[in-house]
Amino acid sequence: MPPKGFQRKKAIASDGTSTPQLPSLAEQLSYLENPRPFKNPNYARKTFRRSKNLKAVLTQERERERAERERRRLEKMESGMEVDGEEEDIQTYTSIEAPPSLLPQKHYCDITGLEAPYTDPATKLRYHDKSIYELIKGLSASAVKDYLAARGVNSIVK
Amino acid sequence: MEAVTRMPSPAPPALPPPPNSYDEHRSARTPLVIDNGSTNLRYGFATSESPRSGLNIVAKYKERRTNKPLLLFGDGVDVEGGARIQARTPWEGDVLLNSDALENALDYAFIGLSIDTDTVDHPIIMTERLCTPLHSRSLTSELLFELYAAPSVAYCVDSVMSFYQNNSPSADGLVLSFNTASTSVIPILDGKGILSHAKRIPWGAAQSADYLLKLIQLKYTNFPTRVTSAQSQWMLHNLCEFAPDYTSLLRSLNSPDALRAVDRIVQFPFSAQVQEEKTPEELERIAERRREQGRKLQEMAAKMRTEKLLQKETDLQYLLNLREGKAEDTKREWTYKLQTEGFDDDSGLDDAIKKLESDLKKARKKEAAADGEDAEEPSFPLVDVPDADLDEDGLKEKKKQKLLKAGFEARARARKEKEREKEERDKEDRKEEEERQGDLGGWVRKMRNEQEVLMTRIKDRGRRKAALSDRKSAAAQARMKNIASLAADDRLPKKKRKGGGEDTFGANDADWAIYRKINTAAPSSDEEEDMSQLAMIEQKLLAHDPSFTPQHTHASLASKRSELISTLRPTYDETNVEGLCRIHLNTERWRVCETWFSPAMAGVDSAGIGEVVQNVLARFSDGEKERLVKNVFLTGGPSQLTGLVPRLHATLRPILPPEMGINISQAADVSADAWRGMARFAQTEEFENVGVTRAEYDEHGGERVRRWWGGNWN
Repeated sequence: MPPKGFQRKKAIASDGTSTPQLPSLAEQLSYLENPRPFKNPNYARKTFRRSKNLKAVLTQERERERAERERRRLEKMESGMEVDGEEEDIQTYTSIEAPPSLLPQKHYCDITGLEAPYTDPATKLRYHDKSIYELIKGLSASAVKDYLAARGVNSIVK
Repeated sequence: MEAVTRMPSPAPPALPPPPNSYDEHRSARTPLVIDNGSTNLRYGFATSESPRSGLNIVAKYKERRTNKPLLLFGDGVDVEGGARIQARTPWEGDVLLNSDALENALDYAFIGLSIDTDTVDHPIIMTERLCTPLHSRSLTSELLFELYAAPSVAYCVDSVMSFYQNNSPSADGLVLSFNTASTSVIPILDGKGILSHAKRIPWGAAQSADYLLKLIQLKYTNFPTRVTSAQSQWMLHNLCEFAPDYTSLLRSLNSPDALRAVDRIVQFPFSAQVQEEKTPEELERIAERRREQGRKLQEMAAKMRTEKLLQKETDLQYLLNLREGKAEDTKREWTYKLQTEGFDDDSGLDDAIKKLESDLKKARKKEAAADGEDAEEPSFPLVDVPDADLDEDGLKEKKKQKLLKAGFEARARARKEKEREKEERDKEDRKEEEERQGDLGGWVRKMRNEQEVLMTRIKDRGRRKAALSDRKSAAAQARMKNIASLAADDRLPKKKRKGGGEDTFGANDADWAIYRKINTAAPSSDEEEDMSQLAMIEQKLLAHDPSFTPQHTHASLASKRSELISTLRPTYDETNVEGLCRIHLNTERWRVCETWFSPAMAGVDSAGIGEVVQNVLARFSDGEKERLVKNVFLTGGPSQLTGLVPRLHATLRPILPPEMGINISQAADVSADAWRGMARFAQTEEFENVGVTRAEYDEHGGERVRRWWGGNWN
């Protein structure tokens, strides 16, 4: 793409020289017009590359992992459980993700960050002491929602 | 406590260093080393001492002034807001996804290395994410082989190469790699990464900085300037640290004094308002000018009034003359005259005259009132005359006079009433004054008691209101019961009610109060009354009781914040612009870093570093475990945050047998060591065997790699 754009831009630049002015910092920093002889002018990008988003990539990865495991299982059955433990598990991007925590979660005050022995039954906000409770009582519903969202609790709209 | 740090303002981006000469590498096939990190791109030939580097971000945009398309890389993106908005990175969080941006970034790298041949004729070694998604690898391979026509490409994992740079090639160790958008744990035995046991935590510096930003936004909801994510990153790296034991740290911060001691203030840029100081003479002059203007206006108005009056008088005279002249004209002439003056007939003329007369009378009266204050008492002579003595007009006049008299008398009564009230008030004031002078202590006690009672009443009302908003509270239930019994008409059968009339509701005025009670929306008039009385009492106390200060008033008591809250987030006066642009960081300083050890705090359902390390170690035998923990190796930018090493020590010690020695070390240069390790490795003989050649790429596609100790296996 840049090779063809490159020539077009040059033409514009030569037009602009009639009014001589110092190039701005941004223009000095720009490398759009630097020559790129090392690029293959005939390269055509495979079009599907652009449309993929993160979610699609991760789904594909998960799918691949599942297929691989299935293949391995079949192989194992065919060969009669002889060669196991020989080859290490091949990990994928999704399979090395850390599991959810199994440790008991400590409760911290949503407002102050200090330890929170209490939870407000109305808003479900955790709080440190009664002075913070007074503050919580004066919070608007949207502020409560923001505080909860910071802890990853997204209230369900009934 | 006064530890104010100024938020640095970003410096304009510097011009990149001049490109290196390509001469020594031309057709020398020097390996090309690229560390494609999600924050920084580092690149250079393997023989260089250190890499060139820049933020891995590109912006393609049109400059507004010249309408010229520009392409910027790295820091250069910050040069203009427009560029910042258009900026894109090859990475989306932790995953390499955007091949356009990658192409632009690689172009920049190769231009910076002055490559001027037809192809990039160098074997390339490039980093990729631990267990990278194959999609990312294939798009990279496609670019490198097809667009740049590289002869061979080897992929490696950056943290393993950083380990290689800092340790002997066959060392053991546990690598903790702190990346921008993730944190990985990789065990290494005999210099070989055991990727099957590696784990990745989806939490990195970017998430921590975001979390800090969120906390700041919650704490300072009305901050005058926008806090950017770059600023929150700066705060994370400069003011935040790991606590060796988070729980005991929080306990130690329980007192306001302790909190004050750890408080760090970040001063954001502000512009002080320049207030013009006016001298008394100037103020006097301004006041004088204003008075002068007022006087002039008054004079003008008075002049206008007299002019109008004169005009009206002459008009009246003219019309009166006209009417008098009626007799001399013929009927025809008279009608014609009337019409030229704009009247339909005689009655129109009469009306106009009457109106003018009354206007004049009023104006004269007003003038007279302005001259002498009290007008004499009007007389109503006809009121006492019996009706029989009057004709029709007289009766009419009498009626009018009666009404006027009644109004006059009512006004007089009201005036008298007012005077009496004032007298009474004065008397009361005097009495109170006497009381106060006689026994100040007693008076103060009494007044304070009254204030107390009023405040309790106001508080109770507030409590009741709060209780009513909760459907299940006793107050709300009682209200519902009241409504139900009012609505239900079964107190008496209908027939009985018709005849008997035993429903006595309303006989007592207090019965109606129930409707007030059930109407929660209606503002209570008692409330206003209480408030005004409270204000009066407080005013008196403020004036006469020396121990009663403005802090004791209801308003300041109600808005008083607890010491804890005011220590966490001190407030500044409205006029203190400098103070309003300050952010106080205290518990946040540790809270933000703690998320690496428990991401659940910020809502990410994942085990933290401690738990993951424990899980990873559990898959090794005791012997291997010992070898691993003897060399815990930290790399990546966030590993430089203060307190990480003690914290890790405190986390690992309890989960390992006491005889196992723990040794934690940090990369010598967290940012460039991976690149240096790659460069060093690229100069060994082994390098030739780990890359994928162009022929292999054509055969197997971009996803296939060779398995080797420093690279991914998938």
